[in-house]
Amino acid sequence: MMRACKNYLTFLWRCTRIAFVGDWRYYAWLGLLSLFCLVGLNAYAKQIVHGLVVTGMSDQVSWGVYIANFTFLVGVAAAAVMLVIPVYIYGNEELHDLVIFGELLAVAAIIMCLAFVMVDLGRPDRFWHLIPGIGQFNFPGSMLSWDVIVLNGYLLMNVHICGYLLYCRYDGRRPAKWFYIPFVFLAIVWAVSIHTVTAFLYVGLGGRPFWNSAIVGPRFLASAFTAGPALIILAMQVVRWITADSPGGGVAPPPSGTPAPEAGARRPATLEDLELLASHLPQFASVPAEIRQSILMDAVVLDVAPGDALLRQGEAGNEVFFVLEGRVVVKREEKGRFRITRSVGPGEQFGETSALTKTPRAATAIAEEPACLLRLPADSLSKLMQIPQMNKIITWRMTERLMITDRALMILRSIVQVSMLINVFLLVNEIFKEFYSPTAHVASSQYLYFGLHGYHALVPWIWVAIAFNLVAMFLLVLPLSRSLKYLNVACVLAIVGIWIEKGMGLVVPGFIPTPLGEIVEYSPSLNETLVCLGIWAFGILCYTVLLRMAIPILQGTLSKATEGHGDFYHRSTETPTLGIPDVKTAHSR
Amino acid sequence: MSDIHKPCACSPDKGVSRRSFLRTSTVLASGVAALAASLAPLRELTDYTSIEQFMQKYYKEMTPQEMEKVLERITREVEQHYKIRPHVKDYKPMDGVEFVYCLNLTRCIGCRKCVHACVAENNQSQNPEIQYIRVLKLPHGSLDMEKGDHNYAPSSVPEKGFFYMPVQCQQCKNPPCVKVCPVKATWQESDGITVVDYDWCIGCRYCEAACPYFARRFNFTKPSIPKERLNPNMSYLGNRPRKQGVMEKCHFCIQRTRAGKYPACLEVCPTGARKFGNILDPESEVSYILRTKRVFIQLKEELGTSPRFFYYFDV
Repeated sequence: MMRACKNYLTFLWRCTRIAFVGDWRYYAWLGLLSLFCLVGLNAYAKQIVHGLVVTGMSDQVSWGVYIANFTFLVGVAAAAVMLVIPVYIYGNEELHDLVIFGELLAVAAIIMCLAFVMVDLGRPDRFWHLIPGIGQFNFPGSMLSWDVIVLNGYLLMNVHICGYLLYCRYDGRRPAKWFYIPFVFLAIVWAVSIHTVTAFLYVGLGGRPFWNSAIVGPRFLASAFTAGPALIILAMQVVRWITADSPGGGVAPPPSGTPAPEAGARRPATLEDLELLASHLPQFASVPAEIRQSILMDAVVLDVAPGDALLRQGEAGNEVFFVLEGRVVVKREEKGRFRITRSVGPGEQFGETSALTKTPRAATAIAEEPACLLRLPADSLSKLMQIPQMNKIITWRMTERLMITDRALMILRSIVQVSMLINVFLLVNEIFKEFYSPTAHVASSQYLYFGLHGYHALVPWIWVAIAFNLVAMFLLVLPLSRSLKYLNVACVLAIVGIWIEKGMGLVVPGFIPTPLGEIVEYSPSLNETLVCLGIWAFGILCYTVLLRMAIPILQGTLSKATEGHGDFYHRSTETPTLGIPDVKTAHSR
Repeated sequence: MSDIHKPCACSPDKGVSRRSFLRTSTVLASGVAALAASLAPLRELTDYTSIEQFMQKYYKEMTPQEMEKVLERITREVEQHYKIRPHVKDYKPMDGVEFVYCLNLTRCIGCRKCVHACVAENNQSQNPEIQYIRVLKLPHGSLDMEKGDHNYAPSSVPEKGFFYMPVQCQQCKNPPCVKVCPVKATWQESDGITVVDYDWCIGCRYCEAACPYFARRFNFTKPSIPKERLNPNMSYLGNRPRKQGVMEKCHFCIQRTRAGKYPACLEVCPTGARKFGNILDPESEVSYILRTKRVFIQLKEELGTSPRFFYYFDV
């Protein structure tokens, strides 16, 4: 128990520490975000002193850009589920590698949501009145109290799932299914609920016909499942870009395609070598003696020096390697840039994918320190895989990698595509209902789309949003967006379009005209805008730091096995995975 | 490798080097300085929340002794701020009373005397201006509020071809504002008045969004009332001065009506268009009106809010 605690605290400490380590680009990025945070904090301090009068809000339009951002971000948080469903319900492998990134994005988005609600309060000092038990919690009457529960619940759930999976990866053990799978499924239902409840905040108001419409909930979900995965598509490409080219101990893989020279000393394997493997890989103990004997026939033990390449991306090869001593780093080349996909230590294997599927090597493996390896041919691996325990551990370790493939992005593309079509379809429904039978309730829509009695502050915005959404929709439907360049354009247009449509285009017109027919327009004040920028910067800062911790863990470079290693490890693991490092070092050797 | 890649100050195997210590402390110090600078506007904060205020219990959970203390605190604060000693009381609803308001649209001439009497009685902020009553000028023959003029300012009223409709809190039997409040800071009392506990409201403004009658007002900044215009006869749930960041609304002049007086807006009305009383008393004026008059309007009846505010005509 004590040891487990100590181990967990070490994990937290190392994660915290790595968040403050990076190259100058990383520091500059953190500095820039912190600057925006401080400017936002300054604006908020002014709001605390003078009250919400420093915003553009009034009794007539009593919610503005704070609540608009809140609404948009709840959608982003809910969209993490669009990664979880394909992975856990349909067993999609490509997206499996991205699930953690999606959930961390949800965590950052919820933090921003809570901040936006907080700054919207007139009396933040009375926040405790909202806490069930000590305050007065109007549950289940008020939809806002539902929102408090679902948002905080969603935050805790995602923190638990990500934290647990990352800790297991750090610790090098298999996550216990019962400890997180129930939460994964709960989170799927919950994600839908956070956005539905947020829609109900508006839908439940009978006195506001613009919101009091059953289609708002479905529209919220459709737009969230468009904007959220679109944001993940963009974020993943940024992660892919900045994690590439890392120097990884100063060893640059040679150009792929050329066969690996026979590196290091080699000798036939003995039973002692298999015993050594079993000491690192307890599952190996279940391998019966006759199989051990039979695999020994073709087994080779290699002793390699740091920097030796064991296999190369692109070449054919059907051997699997087990590490007996030392560490090996696996790097993948994409468009001339290199990224560590995993770091393998004693008892772990690499090269198994090619051995099992007879495909060319997907990455290059290089010894990071003097290492001793056991090499087995493919049919020996197949023999081992017939033993259930070995099968389980090898298959599980195959998924332990940092991979962001184009195919994963294309799956997200099809999600964005379908959601966007549904989103636009629902919009058409709403427009038809409002304008074909223009009851007195059409006033808000009239104001939003065409202006009312000479007031038309929102008209240009909403048409820009509609244009963006339509262009994005056409791009997504056309095969053109199978190229990342056009897909990115479509994603940016969709995100901006939905931000306008769902934020300002939903919150503000609900108040115009007032229930007594008065028209008072709204536009955010400078102070209000600065507070918003501050919160966005804070959210991005949170996401950056979370990624900074998660990426080396997923790569295997930050793990229990690397604990207490000397400078060498500090360099190779805690150098900038975020921030593009010294290209010179990477290529000069 | 750039030197950032050298082991950091907290590296376990290297001691803390002088250089990295200096660098870390410089970064820390400038971070703290920047944080302090960004929080500088807080120095202008004058109205601190005292511990006593912060810890104050929910209205419905306070014992009479605790309420006594709170009233003392409010008295002290008002005296400090306005140099006038107020009489602050927590007026309770009377048994067997349910208040109802009737307003005769035939008689209202749109003079807005009610608006100003209300401001004076209920210590509403005059800068920025907060008013509970909104009078709409409507063209004859229509109740379409979108055609209403909120800012009419002719030299004399009434104007030909128009009628006037004052709107204030309708004291709904089924109030949407109460339903949505996340902290139960607003509720309906047994005499039908919907009140706000200004010391409990968190200022989320959800009730303001929910109200179909534009009856609620928010203190976007610190309210200001000229000393000489302060009404010293105050009630906890009624007209005591409010703070920045909380909601307020018409409460049928709780400090008057629960003491057997008419609301200020009724008393000042020059045409007798406003009628107020206890609907549970069959002899009351409002009971008589609801029995004998033929046409009533409950604003936005279709929303199911069931207002206790009736508009009627002399026909």
